[in-house]
Amino acid sequence: MVHEISPQPPRVGPVTIALNIKDRSGAPVAGARLNLEGNMSHAGMTPVFAEASETEPGHYRSMMELSMAGDWHVTVHLTLPDGRRLDHEFEIRGVEP
Amino acid sequence: MDLLRLPLAGSLLTRRHARTLLQLPLFVVSAAMIIHGLFGPQLAPRNLATTLSWVHFRGALVLVLLLAGNFFCLACPFMLVRNLARKFFHPVRNWPRRLRNKWLSVGLFVVMLFLYEWLDLWASPWWTAWLIVAYFAGALLIDSVFKHATFCKFVCPIGQFNFVAATVSPFEVAVRDHDVCDRCATKDCIRGVREPAAPLVSIQRGCELALFQPRKTGNVDCTFCLDCVQACPHDNVGIISRVPAMELVSDPMRSGIGYFSRRRDLAVLAVVFGFGALLNAFGMVSPVYALEQWLAKLFHVNTEFPVLASVFAFFLVLEPLLLIGVASWLTRVWGGSKRPWLSLAVRYSYSLVPIGFGIWLAHYSFHFLTGLYTFIPVTQSALTDFGWAILGQPRWGLPGLAPNVVQLFEFGFITLGLLGSLLVSYSIAVTEELVHPVRAFIPWATLALLIAGAAFWLLSQPMDMRAVVLGSG
Repeated sequence: MVHEISPQPPRVGPVTIALNIKDRSGAPVAGARLNLEGNMSHAGMTPVFAEASETEPGHYRSMMELSMAGDWHVTVHLTLPDGRRLDHEFEIRGVEP
Repeated sequence: MDLLRLPLAGSLLTRRHARTLLQLPLFVVSAAMIIHGLFGPQLAPRNLATTLSWVHFRGALVLVLLLAGNFFCLACPFMLVRNLARKFFHPVRNWPRRLRNKWLSVGLFVVMLFLYEWLDLWASPWWTAWLIVAYFAGALLIDSVFKHATFCKFVCPIGQFNFVAATVSPFEVAVRDHDVCDRCATKDCIRGVREPAAPLVSIQRGCELALFQPRKTGNVDCTFCLDCVQACPHDNVGIISRVPAMELVSDPMRSGIGYFSRRRDLAVLAVVFGFGALLNAFGMVSPVYALEQWLAKLFHVNTEFPVLASVFAFFLVLEPLLLIGVASWLTRVWGGSKRPWLSLAVRYSYSLVPIGFGIWLAHYSFHFLTGLYTFIPVTQSALTDFGWAILGQPRWGLPGLAPNVVQLFEFGFITLGLLGSLLVSYSIAVTEELVHPVRAFIPWATLALLIAGAAFWLLSQPMDMRAVVLGSG
């Protein structure tokens, strides 16, 4: 799974997360359901949630509202068309105020 | 008001094993935090160690100190393990005379503040778990070798924080009627109670922190352990209400402490407590990262240790030295005080405690109140991790209070702290300076205003929590 964040550098407020998902053979994974969860690196902060929609086969786009500056840890909860579930994690570092 | 005379709280706290009853739940929670911190998810908001340590424990601690007193030390889980160990180890050594002061614990307090920033403890369940282990190990080791409550009185950084903060608490463990103490022949509150048939066998400890109740003043060094309450044969010790912070004004000879005005170590602890509050809050807002980047460029380094060390040296050493030095000098030159400047610095430094506490309170209550319910999903998740999903699936996203509402509380706490510092410094000036008390007060009032202004500015900044700005090392 490849992800891309915009704007760069990311700022507090809405950010767009583009996700490109391929299987082991390199074929795009279409028809998956993606739920995103963003957590701050400090405990006690309310997480933010978002869903992603498929823009073309294997390409997904989500709008996440980052409520605070700092480092964010994003978990993508992925449900494949056959029902299998996977988690993918990445960080958005240094979100500016 | 005497808390021990209240129907429910009184009957609970005066039970012989009240402390153990309060310590046991905290011990179980601490053990769960260690296990989850070491073996659970390493994302701080998902882990019991980080969530309970840096959100709930700190917040509850300062709020209880504000509303009541040093009840955390009463329920301290480290002492439960230490008391158990003392059933097997009977230390005979005394803590070295040179270390019977607060210098070591001031140093450890600064080290704690430094490690918090350097290791990003707030973002690291693993390091947080090891920190809790270190506290247990430290208490166990030191109090297994040395007599009395050596760890609490001379070592524990949390304890020192609590002792200083409790000077502004509304309750203290105190004698109910001094006439009763005057007639008392046994002094069990300090000596303890021995088995009549076997005088070497202790059946109830006296104060292990060398605080002799009839001459005890205030909350410094008092762990609220209630040993004196249990030991007093006349039921003459209570947890009694008083005017907060007034113990910072008076300067009597205090049992187990001496005179505040002669205790440079205690004064430095008060200063570190005050300026450390600002520094700790500074670490969570955006300008600190800009400062760190600027210093890294200036020093031509790309590791955090030297940069952070210089930030600490400036904010905890140079800045207090300069500001307190100038205030003392003005008190002498303009206020007409005859005291040497160092003596003035020591005497008036205690006036920084209320504003320092106000800032700690504002900072910690922000995390506590905005993350109030986060312990619920984290506990649900931890129980699931432990294979015991009795509370159901975690309900992530339970909000606490809104940050803009909590900010009102923050500003209120800082204002309260500022008023406390102004009141204390004015009262000291009126007590000490016979010629120009108002002139003596103004430099210290200005200092308190400067600190409060800095705190208002800091807490108005957007919060910014970054685990890595420069490389580690």
